[in-house]
Amino acid sequence: MSTTGDAAPAATVRNPYVYRPTRSPADAARWDPRRVLVTNLRTISGRAYPRVIGTSREKSWLFFEIMLPFLTTSAFVFVYRALQAPPEFVGFVVLGGAMTAFWLNVMWLMAAQLYWEKDQGNLEIYFTAPMSMMSVLLGMAVGGLLMSCFRAAVVLVIGTVFYGVVFAVDQWALLLAVFFLTLASLYGLGMVLATLFLLWGREAWHMTQLLQEPVYFVSGLNFPVGRLGMLGVLAISTIPLAVGLDAMRQLAFAGSAFTQGALPPEVEVLVLLVMTVVFVGLARVLLKSIERLARQEGRLTMRGS
Amino acid sequence: MTALTEAGPSWTRSADPHLGRRGELRQAWRAFRTAARLGWQTEANWADPLLFFIYSVAKPVFGALILVFMLEVISGGRADQAFRAFVVIGSALWSFVMGGIAGLAMSVLEDRERYRMLKYLYVSPNDLLVLLLGRGVARVVIGGFGAVVTLALGIIFLGVEFDVARVDWLLLVLAMGLGLVAILAMGLIMASVTMQTRQDAWQYPEAVAGALFLVVGAVFPLSVLPTIAQAAGLVTPLTWWLEAVRRALFPDIVSAIGGPGSLFAQLTGRSVPGGGESLLVLLATTAVVTLAAVATYRWSERRAKERGLFDLITGS
Repeated sequence: MSTTGDAAPAATVRNPYVYRPTRSPADAARWDPRRVLVTNLRTISGRAYPRVIGTSREKSWLFFEIMLPFLTTSAFVFVYRALQAPPEFVGFVVLGGAMTAFWLNVMWLMAAQLYWEKDQGNLEIYFTAPMSMMSVLLGMAVGGLLMSCFRAAVVLVIGTVFYGVVFAVDQWALLLAVFFLTLASLYGLGMVLATLFLLWGREAWHMTQLLQEPVYFVSGLNFPVGRLGMLGVLAISTIPLAVGLDAMRQLAFAGSAFTQGALPPEVEVLVLLVMTVVFVGLARVLLKSIERLARQEGRLTMRGS
Repeated sequence: MTALTEAGPSWTRSADPHLGRRGELRQAWRAFRTAARLGWQTEANWADPLLFFIYSVAKPVFGALILVFMLEVISGGRADQAFRAFVVIGSALWSFVMGGIAGLAMSVLEDRERYRMLKYLYVSPNDLLVLLLGRGVARVVIGGFGAVVTLALGIIFLGVEFDVARVDWLLLVLAMGLGLVAILAMGLIMASVTMQTRQDAWQYPEAVAGALFLVVGAVFPLSVLPTIAQAAGLVTPLTWWLEAVRRALFPDIVSAIGGPGSLFAQLTGRSVPGGGESLLVLLATTAVVTLAAVATYRWSERRAKERGLFDLITGS
């Protein structure tokens, strides 16, 4: 008996989303790599879209998330000025202030996001849609990155001009590599935390809060992390923000006597590379696992748990 | 009928539109207490006491540690004790500000976006303002808890010298009372702002508190700031609150407002403000901020009602 039955004639439209004739439901579920890729790319752009559009519709963020955080960074600049610190330290604060934009983006708009999505009733739609959860999270990252990059750029540029920070960069390529690897590992960590926060339920909100000041401290946001001794070493080996900042500080203020990196920047690049692979790999495993839990037990998508 | 009314459940009386002044006050007090209790439970019942303790103190303690470490790095471990005490006290007290400013705004966002109760609260017989204040107070209490622990750690581990016999209790109580009113008023302004914005305003209260951190002399004297920033600081109640509380707890501490080259010294010809003077200015600035907060809130409430923002669910 033929499984094709009375299948409709083949559609002429070349689009992976329209009906295509198949021999069986199992065959229909078998997607070619191109179709998988296109679907996931569309997922990324689809998930990034509301974030970008939402940002452009709510103009208040320009004041609250660009202007005011610059003033917060300025407060730490004036702490160093009150202490008559060498000018490099003002540069450390400006660099740290710029990088917090990415940490906040990872924590608020990624790690806590799956939990919000559950609350809003979107999570079950994500799980039932034929797409990778990593693409959804990547879409969130791409959408939020626009805002974070703008905030970081504003803090960096205005801070540099306003406070007369002088950067001394010898290795631009390495600095850029460190920056992009820091972002990659941060967003990998964000994906891991997103799954963990989803499993922890209501604690997600509080964990996001909890992971701000302590992480800023152990990452050496405003001072060289090497000064923290063993705590700094521990941070360097686990938190991408700590290792990325330490490497960027050494590369952006080359030759300064105050940078005191915990490790040479070349080694820190390798650490970041390992972190990226580990976090992204772990995120993949965890996302698969929560997807399975959601499908088998149906509890992950229940609101109010 | 009279017997029935008297024997009826309390909500029957609370919904009575013909309540007298005392009845209204009683109802408002009941609503405030319920909201404060709810706020406390929302904040506290998600974790066991140990985790909640860590959560409550982590932010202020690590905030203080960042600043103390900056101080130690620059001084090479030989930081001026007076300045270290100044930094620890300022960052400990800041915990109240973070809790107060964020508390009311977060209540609006959580009740609207997450629990989706804001519209029901709004149409209930209680004034939403009273309910928000109740929710905000719970966070201020948690902030106060963080402040006390940070201060205690500063005294025990960071060498902040504290003599309980030298505390000016009257100044402390009056300054704390007025300061908390000012903080809640600022929180109300933030709540009015978040009533108009979408869900992603979670970070707005923290951004505002961070910006205020620059101009109020929390962790460095105002005299290092440009004149215009010093002027902004002098008209902010938090500056005078911090000054008065610092002076009440540690009479010999460095002044954040006065000192050589400060705008205060230029305007008044005196080096540092006295405790009574700080209280008076705190009272005046708190009155202005409170009136502004109530006006802003009423405007925001009216606009939210007109535009249907009380049941707005957003996401991005």
